[in-house]
Amino acid sequence: MANIPPWVLIALIAHGTVMLTVAYLILLERKVASWVQDRLGPNRVGLGFGVIPIIKNWKMRGLGQPLADGLKFFVKEDYRPAGVDKILFTIAPGFMVLVIIISIAVLPWGGTRQAERIISIPPGTANVQEQARRQLSQGDEIVGQPVPLGGGQYRVTYQYPFQIASLNIGVLYILAVLSLAVYGVVIGGWASNNKYSFLGGLRATANMISYEIPLGLAVLCIVVLFGTLDLGQLVEKQCHNWAVIVPAWNVFSQPLAFIMFLVCIHAEANRAPFDIAEAEQELVGGYHTEYSAMRFALFFLGEYAGMITTSAICVALFFGGWDCPGLRGPDALHPAVTTSFIVCVLRAVVFFIKTLVIIFVFMWVRWTLPRFRFDQLMMLAWRGMIPISLALLMMTAFVVFAFHGNTYTGLGGTAALTLLVFNVFTALLILLISSMIPPAPATNRRVTVIGSRYAQTPLPNGG
Amino acid sequence: MKDSDVIILEEPKLSRADQFYLPQVLLGLGTTMKHMFNVVVRDKHRVLQYPEERREDLPVEKGGMLLNSYRGVHRLNKDEEGRVKCVACFMCSTACPARCIHIEAAESPWPDREKYPAKFDIDELRCIYCGMCEEACPVDAIELTHVYDIVGLTRQEMIFDKSKLLKIFDETVKKEPM
Repeated sequence: MANIPPWVLIALIAHGTVMLTVAYLILLERKVASWVQDRLGPNRVGLGFGVIPIIKNWKMRGLGQPLADGLKFFVKEDYRPAGVDKILFTIAPGFMVLVIIISIAVLPWGGTRQAERIISIPPGTANVQEQARRQLSQGDEIVGQPVPLGGGQYRVTYQYPFQIASLNIGVLYILAVLSLAVYGVVIGGWASNNKYSFLGGLRATANMISYEIPLGLAVLCIVVLFGTLDLGQLVEKQCHNWAVIVPAWNVFSQPLAFIMFLVCIHAEANRAPFDIAEAEQELVGGYHTEYSAMRFALFFLGEYAGMITTSAICVALFFGGWDCPGLRGPDALHPAVTTSFIVCVLRAVVFFIKTLVIIFVFMWVRWTLPRFRFDQLMMLAWRGMIPISLALLMMTAFVVFAFHGNTYTGLGGTAALTLLVFNVFTALLILLISSMIPPAPATNRRVTVIGSRYAQTPLPNGG
Repeated sequence: MKDSDVIILEEPKLSRADQFYLPQVLLGLGTTMKHMFNVVVRDKHRVLQYPEERREDLPVEKGGMLLNSYRGVHRLNKDEEGRVKCVACFMCSTACPARCIHIEAAESPWPDREKYPAKFDIDELRCIYCGMCEEACPVDAIELTHVYDIVGLTRQEMIFDKSKLLKIFDETVKKEPM
């Protein structure tokens, strides 16, 4: 037990949690949908499923619905139409899930835990530090020097990050991996041998490529500010207060960047109002039309797990990750470091709750807004969001320059206020400029009657 | 048809705020949040929990349903002595536009009539519930009740025979006297 690296356990628990949450997110989605439409949503299937004694008649507000749905997916016929590309057809849903699963790896669940252990090192060892490191599990980092206690015993203080992989390029990794998710959609659409599925796949590609740019730029606004790509550090630098009470979360200093990011992750997750890839009314379900049973469920799983990941990134970048008053470590310079295991777990819980709030916003938006037309979608990205986020990035860079890079260690109150002012200024500037640029060409042009099938044939004498 | 005949409806012009999307988006989100609040907190929804709550229990103004004129599943009436009233005259099966009534007549064991139905099957899946059988019947033996929630797991189950139709009479006679 001692030598199982902590990240293995965290990985198991995190993935288990995410996968179970996906099932219940589907229930939440249906509930939100019905609440918006003045309905009640699924409320019949309890955890007894009408079979287990004692609780079989408890309805539990439909808590058993996701499990019943899951069971249905398992026992349904796994139908594969004739003419599909067998290998790709099988790979696509798995690919989608795989991509989302590996993207969970860099989420900073709970800062850094510091612990102590007594380690016995045979006397006469030249490099005590190296010897101690070998006895700790993988991922543990020794802080300071091992303290000799006599008799070959040393007290070693070590730290390990409370996340699966503490990558120092975490943000880049997330961006890279999440953009791979489109392959699942495209391969699925292509392999289905169905023109609607294929169209859905193509649309998803165009959608993702367009929105990847403002997404990256919005993330860059934060990265430039703090000078690091490590998600754990990005969170740590938000762990203080401005003016005593306001938490130093980026959403308060960079609201415009947050809006950009939020819109982009909606597009990235292929959800309404950006769900042109699966537009039921025009594409009959899009890329997953031909899928059924568990393969279809995997696509679903991918979509919802993707929502969790992107929301978690949003929380880490803009809402201070696990940051919550009372959960910061004792050292003001390194608020992420704590000696208490409970605190780490509580941080993970806080992180997860914040993520759920963002996910609720996802659903709330989905059941509010109608779908964009394809040209509107492209116009929003290329004429709207990319210029705005570029302006925002330049503005952020200017602030970093003006404060001589002092923002790298965390955002001071003055810098935050400056950023906020510049954000509002950018928004106003955009409003001003957008009134000056010529309007886009009309998309639904009216065709004159002459030449159309309603036209009368003109006679030579003009009659 | 000429160009001048065409009535052109222009899209409404978007204001500056509309073109920025966000204000309208926030307004929309506010509307849906209001509905969510109403359902979750104030319990104001438009759902009828069907098997427990039924439309016929509600007043019509609140979405209720009047059963007086509803034509549901059939029943075979009995007379005072508990015998089936039907005289196997085949009027109903002749009148039936869906051809769902199948009768086999036999010599009546009772002195007051010549025939009685040895078999009386109605295919409730074929029936269109038009009520023609009820109108054709000279002795008011077949009637349509107000029961609408009849279910079965097989097609065979939905072919109601004489005993079942008589049972429906026993069940409904209190609520709906002949």
